[in-house]
Amino acid sequence: MFEFFKNSQKLLGMNSRNLEFIRPYNRLRAKRLADDKLLSKRVLKKSGIAVPSLIAKIKTIEDLENFDWQSLPSSFALKPNRGFGGEGIIVVYGKKKGRDDAWVKADRSLITIEDLRSHIRNILDGSFSLSNTPDIAFFEERLQLLKLFKPYSYKGIPDIRVIVFNKVPVMAMLRLPTRESGGKANLQQGAVGVGIDMATGVTTTAIQGKNKFIEKIPGTNFPVSGIRIPYWKDILLLASKSQEISNLGFLGVDVAIDKNHGPVILELNARPGLSIQVANLAGLAERLRRVSGLKIKTIARGVRMGMDLFGGEIEEEVEEISGRKVIGTVEKIKLVGKDGKTIEVEAKIDTGADWSSIDDSLAKTLGFEKTIDEFEKLKMPYENLKKLDKKERWEIYKDIPDIVSTIPVKSSNGYTYRPMINIEFTMDTITIPTKITLVDRSHMKYPMIIGKINLNKFLIDVKK
Amino acid sequence: MDLNISPIIRFFLIEGVPFETIILILMLPIIATLIAFLRQVVGIKAFGIYTPLIITFAFLATNGLRYGVAIFLAVIFIGMLMRFILKPFRLLYLPRVAIMLTVVAVLILLLLVFGGNLRRTGLASVSIFPILIMITLVEKFVAVQIEKGNKTALILAFETLVISVAGFYIASWGALIKLLVAYPWVILFTIPFNVMIGRWTGLRVSEYIRFKDIIKKL
Repeated sequence: MFEFFKNSQKLLGMNSRNLEFIRPYNRLRAKRLADDKLLSKRVLKKSGIAVPSLIAKIKTIEDLENFDWQSLPSSFALKPNRGFGGEGIIVVYGKKKGRDDAWVKADRSLITIEDLRSHIRNILDGSFSLSNTPDIAFFEERLQLLKLFKPYSYKGIPDIRVIVFNKVPVMAMLRLPTRESGGKANLQQGAVGVGIDMATGVTTTAIQGKNKFIEKIPGTNFPVSGIRIPYWKDILLLASKSQEISNLGFLGVDVAIDKNHGPVILELNARPGLSIQVANLAGLAERLRRVSGLKIKTIARGVRMGMDLFGGEIEEEVEEISGRKVIGTVEKIKLVGKDGKTIEVEAKIDTGADWSSIDDSLAKTLGFEKTIDEFEKLKMPYENLKKLDKKERWEIYKDIPDIVSTIPVKSSNGYTYRPMINIEFTMDTITIPTKITLVDRSHMKYPMIIGKINLNKFLIDVKK
Repeated sequence: MDLNISPIIRFFLIEGVPFETIILILMLPIIATLIAFLRQVVGIKAFGIYTPLIITFAFLATNGLRYGVAIFLAVIFIGMLMRFILKPFRLLYLPRVAIMLTVVAVLILLLLVFGGNLRRTGLASVSIFPILIMITLVEKFVAVQIEKGNKTALILAFETLVISVAGFYIASWGALIKLLVAYPWVILFTIPFNVMIGRWTGLRVSEYIRFKDIIKKL
């Protein structure tokens, strides 16, 4: 019971959201910006942020009467400017063949100019706006579904909700439209919300509607976890940037990924919902507290902080199960030189190489100058050395300081024998004593490669 | 009512303010505070603060709770029914509400006649203002129906009913009435109490229920 109440402290409730976050951080002016889709679209666009492009807007009944319906493209989305919860949005996918007064909707049903007109009249009258105030209708380009999301979403287009506070993206959720939600990515209407690991952009746990935990996408056999969201870092940067522009301290940003344009901002939300916590199985209050009051100078730093602080759970899980560390294709390595001094370099992880190797000049700075110099003096053509057996070769080189063996290495001008030495390096907190080859990598990007022999304690994630 | 009457109440009575009116007005801050408490701490939303408050007083003014509840349910039922009937016509908001009000008004009239016929004179003699108040409930109901859907509207209507019934019992609670008559100033205590719940940032009871599964998994 005590544990229950202690844990509940980590969650953000309505009272706390309104009183401690929305009230002090979201000023009225900024809230007005978020509630006005056309205005926020314009402001974001001016600052160079990608938004779905505007086709036309209808402000009055007069505009509606004079509207040139043939100016509409074959696919578009019709939205109320101050709509909320995805209400009042109509998306058409193409013109009905052989007719220029009708379009086809996602469910293949027809919608005529007359239908659109009456819908717009409802919008203008405020049927879909907050507190029924008169509204503006607008047409914007229809976003195209990314192939990756196709199996997961029913009809509509999924979006990604990111909560940003103090420039740090603190939590995110992928929202997938379902049959129940009528193709809308809105949880209240029955869409699926999938939690996302902040560091990697990989999905974790999911809910349908407001509270129902699910393992698989409804109507399919696909597990909800393990979807890797493309452009992850770009999405976070976009979200964080739009927070700075909009001046909303506590903001929910909805990002969609268009097949052609990549991530675009759909809308800003000054009162983000709380279900994101259920989808992520994590508390917002706890995360917000950790970020609150920090002085974060740049967006890039805020994003990095969000990724570092609130991500990595999946990775840790993999590491726990396998007992191995997950690394990327390029890692930071600490090398210990002969005089005990450590040098940090970036190394390429190369599963095609048997052994690890370092560049000659790096070896020199580490204190192996003599080894290289004396090896060069005793250099012999590869063909001659090849004929000798191991013992005979060792006889030639054994007096060179620090050398432990030689090895044939393929380079651009054929094979050569290269010296090997003993050294210790540290990668991702694991220290490895090893034999390493000294080669000329001066024309390569990285001064070191890590080969198979040193990788048995690691798993490689090529996207990391 | 011989007991302890505060001098100020006595003064009001002498000046000709009816006793019932004084009690109702003194009850208002207490019911309002109850509604605020139920919203912020318990998490019962209802239709804001105005609707449950006014419905509570409508209940108090009808002769007995059951007629009030009957009218309330009739109004909500019509609201539900009319949504389906009016849907294909695709009407704008205000005309749609006007049609609903018309239908509700006619139905309530029938209900009163029916009551009179059954010699349920209690129903027929209900004064007009509480009935009017409850008829306007339909607008609130329709607004929520459009914004949040049928299910939410029904839940909120049910919550409003629960709060109003609770408010009804509190406002007709003898001990509380006696207390207010003796010490009318106690209503001022609702102010610091409201300041307290106005700053309450903890989870609501409803949120403990909503998040109970994930609290265990955190």
